[in-house]
Amino acid sequence: MIAVQDLVKEYGRFRAVDGVTLDVKPGEIHGFLGPNGAGKTTTMRMIAGLLKPTAGRILVDNHDLETEPEAAKRALGFIPDRPFIYDKLTAGEFLTFHAGLYGFGNGNVPERVREMLDLFELSQWEHQLIESFSHGMKQRLVMSSAFLHRPRAVAVDEPMVGLDPRGARLIKDVFRKMSERGVAILMSTHTLEVAQEMCHRVSIIQKGRIIAHGTVDDVKQMAGGSSDEHLTSVFLKLTGGSALQEIDEI
Amino acid sequence: MTQPFPFLLLPHAWASRNRVRRREKGDALRGIVFGTIGLLVAAALFYGAYWVTSQLAAYEEFGDYLLRLGLSWLFLSFLAFLAFSGVVTALSTFFLSDDLRLLMASPVSARRLFLARFARTVGSASWMVIIFMAPVLFGVGVGRCAPYAFYAAMIATIIPFSIIPVALGSACTLFVVNVFPARRARDLLMLMGLVFAAGVVLLLRFIQPERLLRVESLPDITDFFATLQSPITPMLPSFWAGETLFAAVQGGFDWLHQSALWTTAGAFTIMLGAAHGRWHFQGYSRSQEAPKTRFAHFRTLDFFAAALPLSPVRRQLLVKDIKIFLRDVSQWVQLLPLLALVLLYLYNFRVLDLDRIPYMSGFIKNVYAFINLGMAGFVMATVAVRFVFPAVSAEGAAFWIIRTSPISMHDFLWSKFWTALLPVFLFTEALTIAANQLLGVDPFLKVVAAASIFFLTFALVGLASGLGARYPRFNADATQAAGSYGGVMFMIAAVALIIVTIVLVGWPSSMYLMSHTGQFRFRLTPERQAMIVASFTAAGAICMATWWLSMKSGVRALDEMRK
Repeated sequence: MIAVQDLVKEYGRFRAVDGVTLDVKPGEIHGFLGPNGAGKTTTMRMIAGLLKPTAGRILVDNHDLETEPEAAKRALGFIPDRPFIYDKLTAGEFLTFHAGLYGFGNGNVPERVREMLDLFELSQWEHQLIESFSHGMKQRLVMSSAFLHRPRAVAVDEPMVGLDPRGARLIKDVFRKMSERGVAILMSTHTLEVAQEMCHRVSIIQKGRIIAHGTVDDVKQMAGGSSDEHLTSVFLKLTGGSALQEIDEI
Repeated sequence: MTQPFPFLLLPHAWASRNRVRRREKGDALRGIVFGTIGLLVAAALFYGAYWVTSQLAAYEEFGDYLLRLGLSWLFLSFLAFLAFSGVVTALSTFFLSDDLRLLMASPVSARRLFLARFARTVGSASWMVIIFMAPVLFGVGVGRCAPYAFYAAMIATIIPFSIIPVALGSACTLFVVNVFPARRARDLLMLMGLVFAAGVVLLLRFIQPERLLRVESLPDITDFFATLQSPITPMLPSFWAGETLFAAVQGGFDWLHQSALWTTAGAFTIMLGAAHGRWHFQGYSRSQEAPKTRFAHFRTLDFFAAALPLSPVRRQLLVKDIKIFLRDVSQWVQLLPLLALVLLYLYNFRVLDLDRIPYMSGFIKNVYAFINLGMAGFVMATVAVRFVFPAVSAEGAAFWIIRTSPISMHDFLWSKFWTALLPVFLFTEALTIAANQLLGVDPFLKVVAAASIFFLTFALVGLASGLGARYPRFNADATQAAGSYGGVMFMIAAVALIIVTIVLVGWPSSMYLMSHTGQFRFRLTPERQAMIVASFTAAGAICMATWWLSMKSGVRALDEMRK
């Protein structure tokens, strides 16, 4: 559903993303892991159509983002790491606006908006200005907009940042439900517990290159660890941060 | 050891230094454009002040009297501006600035924090006044061959003169923030300040300085000066500043008024510091709260928008833009001074007594029709740079929503264009028709002016939309975006276009009028008729080309943003 082929992004001489290839199947939750500055957000932003790749190809629901950008974007929901939205709109107005951007007519929009606000526990805030929302509420509102147009695939950058435990559980439930309905979810995250718990497969990126991919067990084996070893240890072994873990264990 | 308060100003100074050191694309061109404009404005102010002062020197006592009055009025007009600027700046520096979280959480004494923030408030609120005032005062000094002590007195006067109104403005902010929620306080302060500014403009106009031009009403001059003098009481710092500099320009030194300035500035600083010690934390704490604010839902707008024959995308972009504009007081409140200026503009045409020149009144009226067209064009350019140019920048950090959605940048920018076109057109067209009606110009010119405004609206709104997309400032507010490099480029291009259009429209119109009035024994030969048609066509074509090419360039710039 999301297919990334040999993706490259260069800033001058610096190569931020270096030949990344990913394939997220319908109904799969795919974890995209990596240390800070590894190229995760750059890759996510290219998939969302915010950055133009230097080379490579991105397909969403078999639509090439370069040649059919509107069809590809219509099939995708994007959730950025920071929820910047229009402060002077209400939650309901923002979702109605979003529906309009994705070409929804006026007919069934109010019902769909209420459905999403219910799902993300924002119904009581429907008529409040977004400027009075907390970070977590804004994050949930952005997520509700990403699922509003019934996307075939969702790219989500750091979904758990700023969410309280209740919000985090809600998001996990929603992602699982959407995945059961066949939505492909590519999730970039630092929260390895979430990746271990939710992802069918993971890809680990470092210095712009994919250094490991497969199921969580595949990745553990790749790092020479046992299947009951925690993903954090595996991640640190693969990305060269094991010294940090040793400090942690002292 | 605790560092003295200027230490707290270092991050601001370092940030400014780093900005100067960092070279960005277009910096050189930006420097040249802004530098040249700045130098030209400074030179014009200097020369204007120099010329007026030199002329006044010829009238001895009356000249001295007028110079003294002029200096007081100069300071009085800046006094109001500084107080308003102090109100707005203090809200940011004392309550809303992001770095306050760091400073308020660190072990910095309230007094040091106050002094650092107040110094920054005075600097930020007064730099523009100082830049405008300096060439004027230099012009006065050179015009009167003042001694060097005058220039020292100038510095010693401007500093305390700036502190006093800014302290009053800051005190006003401190009071309002403690009474209203921060978001309401910001809106309220904006509204208060701009209503005040619009009021001052209208008041100045209704003093009717045109009375001075009527030779038959010379006795009125004494009344006029009495009106001018009435607000200048010896209790105002503007009077003290004017007196100090008037004494200095004559080689003397006015201890009384200079001392009054410094002691008042010192006293105000101490009192404001004490008030901050008592109420700042309380106000700052309130400014962190995010209460549910009341706001208009504009459900009628949704209703009307639903009835428009637009695609869902265009309809939602339109509704979103209008609602955000109307709910942000800092946006629409700037229409108030504009409205005041428009009222003045129309009032001026109403009081213009052209019939006092019997043989030329018809000719002058028609010339005024083109001056009116130029003024309307300039008003349109001002509206466009303030409200249309920042339209793309206004998406701010939320622009990712548009860019990740399945709409093309072409549709997005054209939606911005059509949203702006109608209000700008209606506003400027109404202004032009009303002014021409008040002037009583020839019906042919009324039609020409109305048609010119129609074409100019497409050109200027297109130019503003296109350049706004080419030079967006997503991190800046609308005012900062309007004053950016792109905004200045727009104004330069807009003024050039207005001049070209007026020339291309004015020349054939004058030929037509000359042939019809019969005053100049001028006939419209077929060649002349062809030239008239060609000139009108060229004006229309230039406007349409500007519109089309600007939009095309804007769409391309938005598409290239992905790189």
